[in-house]
Amino acid sequence: MDMEIDDPMHGSDEDQLSPTLDEDMNSDDGKNNTKARSNDEDTDEELEDFNFKPGSSGIADHKSSKPLKLTNTNINQLDQWIEHLSKCEPLSEDDVARLCKMAVDVLQFEENVKPINVPVTICGDVHGQFHDLLELFKIGGPCPDTNYLFMGDYVDRGYYSVETVSYLVAMKVRYPHRITILRGNHESRQITQVYGFYDECLRKYGSANVWKMFTDLFDYFPVTALVDNKIFCLHGGLSPMIETIDQVRDLNRIQEVPHEGPMCDLLWSDPDDRGGWGISPRGAGFTFGQDISEQFNHTNDLSLIARAHQLVMEGYSWSHQQNVVTIFSAPNYCYRCGNQAAIMEVDENHNRQFLQYDPSVRPGEPTVTRKTPDYFL
Amino acid sequence: MSKRNTPPLRSSGINTIQINAAREMHAQTVRARRMPMPTSGITTPSVQPTAAPATPPRHICNNPNNPQCLHCGSVIIPSPRATLPLEDNPSISINDWTISSRKKPILNSQELDIWENEKLKGLTLPEMIFGNNYIRIENSKQHWSIEFNALDALKEVQLQDSGIRVAYSNDWINSKKRQNSTNGAQRFTNDVNDDSLNIIHKYDWTYTTRYKGTESSPESKFRLDNDQKLPLDKLAVHDKILFYDDMILFEDELADNGISILNVKIRVMNERLLLLSRFFLRVDDVLVRVYDTRIYVEFDENVVIRESKEFEGKYQDVLAKHRLSQSHDPKAALRDSNWVAQNTPMIKRQCEIIQF
Repeated sequence: MDMEIDDPMHGSDEDQLSPTLDEDMNSDDGKNNTKARSNDEDTDEELEDFNFKPGSSGIADHKSSKPLKLTNTNINQLDQWIEHLSKCEPLSEDDVARLCKMAVDVLQFEENVKPINVPVTICGDVHGQFHDLLELFKIGGPCPDTNYLFMGDYVDRGYYSVETVSYLVAMKVRYPHRITILRGNHESRQITQVYGFYDECLRKYGSANVWKMFTDLFDYFPVTALVDNKIFCLHGGLSPMIETIDQVRDLNRIQEVPHEGPMCDLLWSDPDDRGGWGISPRGAGFTFGQDISEQFNHTNDLSLIARAHQLVMEGYSWSHQQNVVTIFSAPNYCYRCGNQAAIMEVDENHNRQFLQYDPSVRPGEPTVTRKTPDYFL
Repeated sequence: MSKRNTPPLRSSGINTIQINAAREMHAQTVRARRMPMPTSGITTPSVQPTAAPATPPRHICNNPNNPQCLHCGSVIIPSPRATLPLEDNPSISINDWTISSRKKPILNSQELDIWENEKLKGLTLPEMIFGNNYIRIENSKQHWSIEFNALDALKEVQLQDSGIRVAYSNDWINSKKRQNSTNGAQRFTNDVNDDSLNIIHKYDWTYTTRYKGTESSPESKFRLDNDQKLPLDKLAVHDKILFYDDMILFEDELADNGISILNVKIRVMNERLLLLSRFFLRVDDVLVRVYDTRIYVEFDENVVIRESKEFEGKYQDVLAKHRLSQSHDPKAALRDSNWVAQNTPMIKRQCEIIQF
């Protein structure tokens, strides 16, 4: 995607940007809490590597041993941030640091398999389309009156990843039992360097510090959720190394998304028309057939696997004879696909209803970007 | 991608919101078209049109829904991209030549089923197919046209393994084999045995296509002539652009391992046009590839030149060039196909010509 031409927020880069990124960044287990030196402009490669290691932002230093308690001061601050973000204005870097520290003290206590009660509204990819996220809340009902479960991929590709992920994290801290935010494959250091979030943080904050804070926070997101013990929710799909939900509970999730292994599969795999386990022709990543999802649902006494991860023109798509549903919540994806988005409402009696919606319409603005004719050669 | 069921009719209660949103969006789109054309963002001052002011313009704008042309007062600018299933089909005529384009949203589930099971059987389809889009250049007197569309481009994708793998493929496969050995003593029903660790899909997952357009004639009218060159001196002049369109035919994010995208754009001036069809492939940490096809038409001389170029390089080699330029976000350049084409070795060039 050629973001430079289409981005209405594009401005000239400031001079004091962060050092060049080291491509071979390590993927540690995330337990490294070494404090990073902020605004370090040293271009030495070892120091670059150090500055991009998990934990380098420092937001997980001094973690609390008990879940965050919402005091009046906290509530007022969070409400102020949410109000600010609702206008699609990013928080200051200091406020992001405070928000991320609060969020660590909420998310670190959540299970790998987050239990959720009905009624709940289940949402798919958002991908930085902030105004469409607000549209989603209009369609589904405001939080906390409505319970929400988001299945990952809040950043990259859209123009407002910073505002989107800040808003959802702030809502999570403000209403921890009303909204659940899972991890998608884009909530990772390696992916966000390629698909836009890193670039956006550089443009909006002048350094990569906010990117470090959020990618350190992503390590604490839960990877799956279980709705009334009946609907298993996750970003990607199943793993051949996971036969029972208890095996998900045993994973060490607090790390960068690895390239292989069960945690990778939960965030990356896809259902396929072909049966059994398959390997993507790209040489990595699993596909799973209907026999696999049927067996998994039977073994774990589930009625449904809900997942996101793939673009669907109508916003949702059934596969494997209603054993698996894909939900996609970014309408007009990449601002050009013309697709609908959808969310799935599950009521007290486990009835499911899909709400489809179109991109938000902002008064006074054309709905799409127009390109000036270009003297290309 | 899994086979899609036709979704049930929308549930009651949502339709009002949909209808109102649709009406509002349609009004916004139409309003956007009728806005006066903004001043061109080009910093270089335009050269005055060579035609005398008193001479009536010879181009004909064929679609009344588009914004007005500042040059002749008629409309020629293509519509904004629609987000609903709106359709626009702007076109322009000069002499015997007519240039037209169409842009619509990506294929829906029903269309995808037809493409998957009939038109492109055997190919796992890319994630975003703008299957109803096209750009067409037509000469009515010669009964000839060339068109760029997604279906014919995807028909050129090989139905065999490309041999290309993502960067971490070896590590991924080897870790699976190690796990199988470790788990040998306790086999589960879901165990992935070594037979499963073979890639079973037989198609080029990079969607590489050497598509150069679809001619209306049964046999190509182009004659190979590699000594021909595009007249860059004429194209560098900033003659008034009377018609412009830019669109994607298909795109796939390769499951977040890079990008494969086919983009086509065209600009039409008073005496000539230039079309660029560009296939851009980036497999992160593996390779980059740019395949360009340019179509040049001189209206009065009835000459058509088609030039195609292929650029390919290793990802790290191309990235190294950008790191040398002291940029702060080196990977941003690798998202820019223009930059990649300028910094990647050209491995093939071919030129063909039609003189009607």
